Amino acid sequence: MTMNTSDPAILAEGLAKRYRQKVAVADVSLRIEAGETFGILGANGAGKTTTVEMIAGLRHPDRGRVRVLGLDPRHDRTRLRQVLGVQLQHAYLHGALRVSELVDLYRSFYPNPRSGAELLELVDLGEQRRTVFEKLSGGQQQRLSIALALAGRPRVLILDELTTGLDPRARRHMWGTIEQLKQDGVTILLVSHAMEEVERLCGRVALLDAGRIVALDTPRGLAARAGTATLDDAFVALAGKEPEDSQ
Amino acid sequence: MSTVIEAHRPGMRSMLILIGAETKMVVRDTAGLVVPLGLPLLILLTSASAAGRTEIVNGRTALDLFVLPLVLVMVTATIGIINMPSFLAYYRRSGILRQLAVTPASPVMVLAAQAIVSLMQAAVGITLALVVATLAFDANPPVNPGAAVGVVALTTAAMYGIGMIVAAVAPTPNSAVAAGLVAFFALGALGGMFGGRGGLPEPLAEIGSRLPFGAAVDALSAAWAGTAVEGGQLLSLGITVAVGATVAALLFRWE
Repeated sequence: MTMNTSDPAILAEGLAKRYRQKVAVADVSLRIEAGETFGILGANGAGKTTTVEMIAGLRHPDRGRVRVLGLDPRHDRTRLRQVLGVQLQHAYLHGALRVSELVDLYRSFYPNPRSGAELLELVDLGEQRRTVFEKLSGGQQQRLSIALALAGRPRVLILDELTTGLDPRARRHMWGTIEQLKQDGVTILLVSHAMEEVERLCGRVALLDAGRIVALDTPRGLAARAGTATLDDAFVALAGKEPEDSQ
Repeated sequence: MSTVIEAHRPGMRSMLILIGAETKMVVRDTAGLVVPLGLPLLILLTSASAAGRTEIVNGRTALDLFVLPLVLVMVTATIGIINMPSFLAYYRRSGILRQLAVTPASPVMVLAAQAIVSLMQAAVGITLALVVATLAFDANPPVNPGAAVGVVALTTAAMYGIGMIVAAVAPTPNSAVAAGLVAFFALGALGGMFGGRGGLPEPLAEIGSRLPFGAAVDALSAAWAGTAVEGGQLLSLGITVAVGATVAALLFRWE
């Protein structure tokens, strides 16, 4: 499978998804270029997670089309999993396994994985390497799931709630890791509630409301468009509600 | 300019690491480890002396013909009916399979590893019971070893079949354990787990002998004695395998 480097890293066209009567995503189209760090903002229920799950190939859209590095998540699953790293909103791992055991297990799935030591350093979990997953704090579990998403040296990374629930120190460490990945040319799709995080990390941002993109611009551009000084205020002005926390 | 993305699937080394990980999960789940190995051994220790060393047929004693078959069936039943469904329910509910779905590993790989570890646990339980029975109580090998191995294999499949029914209908890990325990004790009680079917009212004993637990004990007893294994017993086990597979195929859901 080949892709041209002029292809976008992520292409989503007219995505729609409903769960029974509830429309989760009404119509979302995105074009994210290779090397971009792209943020998705939105209040609870705006359709952020459903959108990224469709892009990651975890859910099949009712309508629309997804390509990641030119690959169809449904039909090119094996190839896509080599180059796409996904951190889910909640970490689901074998509860009785130690951090180092989980890292070794997930590394074994890839042909040329990062070393275990490097992965633990990236998320600052070296001291917990002998702790079983169940005994980790919520923030530590989340950091481990980010490390596992990085195990296969992904070229595209989807992060659903990167730093929600992390303490300030862990949050800064994680931002440093993301900046390092950006320098390495990794394309990053970041779902977030934290305006400071999006302003700092993302080149462009899509603001989702009721399953549609209501604004798409640079963080600065969004604020300017809303006539506000900060992204926080722009969010309230454009989405008409507060960017509440999901937990 | 273009780049090539190779298709690559996790290989045998990854499978071995996964089997190692699943083994650690089983070993660290103390109750799940101890019950299938300890409970049958307890029955063996408490029944073996009482069973005596009087020959009944073909040089085989009551220990060989009644206690050992019961103990071996208990090992496969506890693992198949209680442990397997609770692990499956845990995997479903905890979302572990969903997490693995974003990696190159496939759910089939995970389940194969889990099945291999589960069968290894059954093999350890059976070996442990046989070694203790032979060394401590002078148990004898089956007159017809081939039949004994065949019956144990079919029994294991039948017990996993019952386990799949439990896994298919139980919504949570807790209810899977509860449903598994109820199924295990009901089948076991009717099958002679508590002092033999002779003590049961006639209709219950009759029913128990036709259900998979009782049928497995009788079939294994026949293999030990060197007498013919009855077709009805094999049929009971075979039907259980078929029903389990059908119910699982129709009702079991990953999420």
